[in-house]
Amino acid sequence: MKKTAEIVIIGGGVSGLATAYFLAKMGMKDIVVLEKGYIASGSTGRCGAGIRQQWGTEMNCRMAINACDFYEKGNEILEYDDDIEFKQGGYLIIATTEKEHEQFKKNVALQQSLGIPVKHLTPQEALEVVPFLNISDVLSATYCKKDGHLNPFKVCDAFAKACRKLGVEINTYTKVEDIVVENGRIKEVVTDKGNIATNKVMNAAGGYSQVIAKMVGIDLPVYSERHNILVTEPVEPFLGPMVMAFQKNLYIQQVPHGSVIMGKGDPNEPRDFTIKSSWHFLDEMARIACDTLPPLRGLRMVRQWAGLYNMSPDCQPVLGSVDEVEGFYMAIGFSGHGFMMGPTTGMVIAEHILGQESELTKLLIGMLHLSRFEKGELILEPSVV
Amino acid sequence: MRIEKHPILTFEKGRKVKFTYNGEELEGFEGEPIAAALHAAGVKVLGHSSVHKRPRGFYCAIGNCSSCLMTVDGKPNVRVCIEKLADGMKVETQQGKGDLI
Repeated sequence: MKKTAEIVIIGGGVSGLATAYFLAKMGMKDIVVLEKGYIASGSTGRCGAGIRQQWGTEMNCRMAINACDFYEKGNEILEYDDDIEFKQGGYLIIATTEKEHEQFKKNVALQQSLGIPVKHLTPQEALEVVPFLNISDVLSATYCKKDGHLNPFKVCDAFAKACRKLGVEINTYTKVEDIVVENGRIKEVVTDKGNIATNKVMNAAGGYSQVIAKMVGIDLPVYSERHNILVTEPVEPFLGPMVMAFQKNLYIQQVPHGSVIMGKGDPNEPRDFTIKSSWHFLDEMARIACDTLPPLRGLRMVRQWAGLYNMSPDCQPVLGSVDEVEGFYMAIGFSGHGFMMGPTTGMVIAEHILGQESELTKLLIGMLHLSRFEKGELILEPSVV
Repeated sequence: MRIEKHPILTFEKGRKVKFTYNGEELEGFEGEPIAAALHAAGVKVLGHSSVHKRPRGFYCAIGNCSSCLMTVDGKPNVRVCIEKLADGMKVETQQGKGDLI
């Protein structure tokens, strides 16, 4: 392990690896990534791995468009010898309340103005996309055929391999124990494998971002929350798009391997680091999934897993530098959307650190600064699960 | 050879019934595992591996290993080593991972 580094990136998930990649690509040397487990062992590898451009704010639409463009060409850009498995089967988002139906009209107008190929569908039209959808409580649906999902492990593998080719040092099973700050500046990162002298640290620790921030004396207004996922036995392809519902609070998709994976949030989850699977989730998820897509009754479930959402007060991420400590950067608090935004995060943080900000980076760094919570400038995104 | 005794599972050997295997009419005993009836009729290949399409046969015989997944009465991924034979059953070799719809 290096004894000194230009930057130490904490977290070997998509945010940390994408940032390391973009920094290296833009010419930074001596980049070190620290990961306490294996690559993608945290929130990235445990996520639903969908990517949608159907958001309710211009900011999120643009972040997602940028990420989607990257993922479409990901294998080529990263010169990956495998496949990141980007299946663009679309997202079908269903409205089951009048309020959602009205909101979807506004969302679609915004999304179309930004060039996103989205359509607002009647329940009958939704049946043309998913013929076995239970439309008994569906008022309308929005569909974007360019949305989809990827394999999060392959995405991280692709970024990690590209990083290594560019000279980035990635240390797995290396836990950060402390960060030394002197006179308001980053000095050193203390790990269980030794110390690294550096002036820059990036916090990309996902569900543990608040633990890392605490090491430099910052109390983040974020918490971590377990989200379960259930996976079925594989069958031949039958479900093209990801089916999602905000009010019903669920997403269901079939991955290329043939398994169907599905998840839902639970407002009663404890705010801690638990990632054990729960019976309660299994019961609720199976019930609501079979009600929404009745043919799922014919599938056996294989297993469950869970991971952490790093929740911020407005369910939007915190990006960029902080006022309190010089040289400390963050890409945290994604509240369940970190994976899909990964390439954008990497680009934005890299451009920000190197002072070469594009228009999108300027916009995002400006809006997503940590100080927005104190100033009360919360971002109101209507389309979150 | 007919499997009459199983070290773990218990099953009653009932009356003689007819069923079809890929359209071919065969006979077996009601209540015995479908796989036992197929085995007695000389059917040793039950499925194929998903990637290399290699033949897969009777293996764990307790419903754990997924080696014997077949389509039964239109339902995919039925574990024929533990599913009991019934009169008139339509047993088919499964194509790929099975069609849910």
